[in-house]
Amino acid sequence: MKRYILNSFIAAAILFTAACKPEIETPAGSTAGQANFSKYIAIGNSLTSGYADGGLYLEGQKVAYPNLIAAKMATVGGGAFTSPFFTEEHSNGSGYLALTALVNGTPTLTPVADKLAYRDAAKHLDKYSGEVQNLGIPGMRLDLSFDPTLTFSAANPFFERLLTDAQVGKTNYFQFIQSRNHTFFSLWLGNNDVLGYALNGAVAVTGDPTTTLTDKVTFASLYTNMLNALTANGQKGIVATIPDVTAIPYFNTVTVPALLAAAKAINPAATAVYIQTGTGTVRAATAEDLIRLPFQSAGLFGQGAIPYGLHPLNPIANNWVLDKDEVVKVKDYVNSYNSSIKSLATSKGLAIADTYNYFNQVKTGLNIQGVGINAAFITGGAFSLDGIHLTPRGNAVIANVFIEAINAKYGATIPTVDITQYRGVKFPN
Amino acid sequence: MKKILLSVLLSAPLWVLGQGFQVNLQGQKQIGMAGAGSALALDEASVFYNPGAVTFLEKNSVSAGVNPLLFKSAFKQAGSDITENVKNKIAPPFEFYAVWGPKSNKWKLGLGVYTPFGGLVDWGDNWSGKYALTSLNLKAIYFQPTLSIKITDRIGIGAGFVYNHGDVNLQRALPVNFPDGRSGHATLEGTGKGYGWNAGLYIKTLSNISFALVHKSKVITKLDGGSAEFDVPKSLTGSFPAGNTFNAELPLPATTSLGVGIPLSQSTVLAFDASWVQWHIYQDLSFDYVTNTPALADTKSARNYRDGSSFKLGINHQASEKLALRAGVGYAFSPVQDGYVTPEAPDADRYILSAGLSYTPTSHFEVNASFFFEDVKSRKQKNIETGLDGTFKTLVYAPGISLTYKW
Repeated sequence: MKRYILNSFIAAAILFTAACKPEIETPAGSTAGQANFSKYIAIGNSLTSGYADGGLYLEGQKVAYPNLIAAKMATVGGGAFTSPFFTEEHSNGSGYLALTALVNGTPTLTPVADKLAYRDAAKHLDKYSGEVQNLGIPGMRLDLSFDPTLTFSAANPFFERLLTDAQVGKTNYFQFIQSRNHTFFSLWLGNNDVLGYALNGAVAVTGDPTTTLTDKVTFASLYTNMLNALTANGQKGIVATIPDVTAIPYFNTVTVPALLAAAKAINPAATAVYIQTGTGTVRAATAEDLIRLPFQSAGLFGQGAIPYGLHPLNPIANNWVLDKDEVVKVKDYVNSYNSSIKSLATSKGLAIADTYNYFNQVKTGLNIQGVGINAAFITGGAFSLDGIHLTPRGNAVIANVFIEAINAKYGATIPTVDITQYRGVKFPN
Repeated sequence: MKKILLSVLLSAPLWVLGQGFQVNLQGQKQIGMAGAGSALALDEASVFYNPGAVTFLEKNSVSAGVNPLLFKSAFKQAGSDITENVKNKIAPPFEFYAVWGPKSNKWKLGLGVYTPFGGLVDWGDNWSGKYALTSLNLKAIYFQPTLSIKITDRIGIGAGFVYNHGDVNLQRALPVNFPDGRSGHATLEGTGKGYGWNAGLYIKTLSNISFALVHKSKVITKLDGGSAEFDVPKSLTGSFPAGNTFNAELPLPATTSLGVGIPLSQSTVLAFDASWVQWHIYQDLSFDYVTNTPALADTKSARNYRDGSSFKLGINHQASEKLALRAGVGYAFSPVQDGYVTPEAPDADRYILSAGLSYTPTSHFEVNASFFFEDVKSRKQKNIETGLDGTFKTLVYAPGISLTYKW
């Protein structure tokens, strides 16, 4: 009987304590600070659009960093955030690369070909009409935002799909983003003004404005125009710097030492990898020369009677290589653009997400909330299968870089994104 | 050159110990006094608290008890607006004691089976720290045969040999994703054993104030051939081979306690214990996988524990012939330094409050009950190794009951 009473007592005690959860106070409360997030618009390129794995598709669009930020802004007075999502039926959008095999560390990337959103044989994408706040357009550059010929609006399928038939070929990005009555903006633009050039092995193709380098002074001037328009009604916002193009797996996976080791495994007599530099010189490559990622699947290396890339008479072509002088040049442009971005943003009192600095940390490797993140291709977790754009996890990490900069600048308390809820690369079964 | 080396996915640590793993629940009477009582020959639990006091027990006895323990921990990631809680799981620290010796003789034999270290934490498979840990179930069960001898009418010494049977099951998510987006999962499970001793000195002065000095040795518990299972996409099974095993070492620290017992009246006694927990032996934690791959290297994680300590004050009041009441307060200093706090044992300095009672219906039979509460201070931390960044807050509730038969 006594035991009975005691057991009941214990049962009651357990029930009681089950209700007594520990509490953790948040001292700062919940506030937008000096900012107003009721209508946020995101200006930018592929990174802003959610482009990943070499394509724009629905899963990537949903986890684009502006969308993650907007979802968190909702807790501090943020309004709805609309994006030009592909439909579920056409959820694979432009198509993208999937990792379909990984044998002894060698990846097989296969294009996804179903549920595409192409509306005609000329590869125009499904149109999207209606309000758009995620204004990121893959391939958009700062200089082409002001495209005086207005032809880029027809040439870029991601831009074209957002335009009415009457607008196609009759507008440019700068005009397109105006009059959106925004209260807050993010601007991460300018990457392609240098990346387009670098991704082509620092070969500017005549007649292709996406492969040129934007002049430094022009960049500063256009960026000023852009910021003036976005802050015309005193809006607050955040700008982001441009990552060092050499911090991405696209230039750090196929390395000269790895190529040489592979060659030696087949022919121990191999002594050097030969490249053609931007100046036309042919020389032995060093670890400072960067080879583009697609070279690994191009099927060129070591081929031919004079083995490709292993003999001065058959060097790796200039467009596959960002040679060390080109690396210096590209870095110089990035630094110049970033100093313009930072000084212009500071003079306008805007927040700055220093993604240049952040990606350099990622290159070294970071542990965030128990997740190791680095710039390694496939396994690094941050970069998707194109070696340039971000995985959902990478987007979550970058969203937090933006959120922390906004909070610091405007005294807001936008909650951070739980990065562990977002995936890295999907590995095949 | 097509080789892409998988980076070290398992660079993060897998396991840590803290004050949180030291379970101070070894006897209902002492628990009711916040864990003080090494200087009191209260009952057969002295086998644990002070082997030197065992010989002063008047009767032979056996007892068994259990303290269903609810470890309620909460976490809020830095900058987040979401508080996450561990699942309600009840760990069952238990104790069994037997003490026997010929009446009016100078010696007694004792046996104790108890759980001085353990942890049961289940954060769920999808919480924000899942890549550091999803769950831990750790049990250390000590078996301690003991001999206690009266040197004089007022001085006793005692010592016991300790055999530890350890069980561990540790799980965490791996940051590699299946085609459906879910994360990989690692489960490490094993049993180990270790040896040590427990010795105590009990002195009762002429004024009836009693003193205790007790040392419980460290117990290095070796886990050999534990199973390391990795649930990963098939394309990564080469990096995480099936049927892998691991060896590890779990250093359970020594504790030195100094106790004082002060009789306030015929029916009331005050007990004070100060303990020094020598966690400094826990400098790093190493996992040695039997099969290594480029993605699965052996790990050696710095822990850099310092020594912990605790101070406990309890009171025992014999309210009537059949009923005794107890209460206690205490404070413990965490051995975990800044930068090393983990979700396995989200440790911090803590307050202890307790209460207890005994009911003795007959001279042979006794029921003891206790309630033990710990308030572990809120601690905002960024773990140096995993980068897990946020605030932990923990409350511990442990009601307990034991039954004793005496003769």
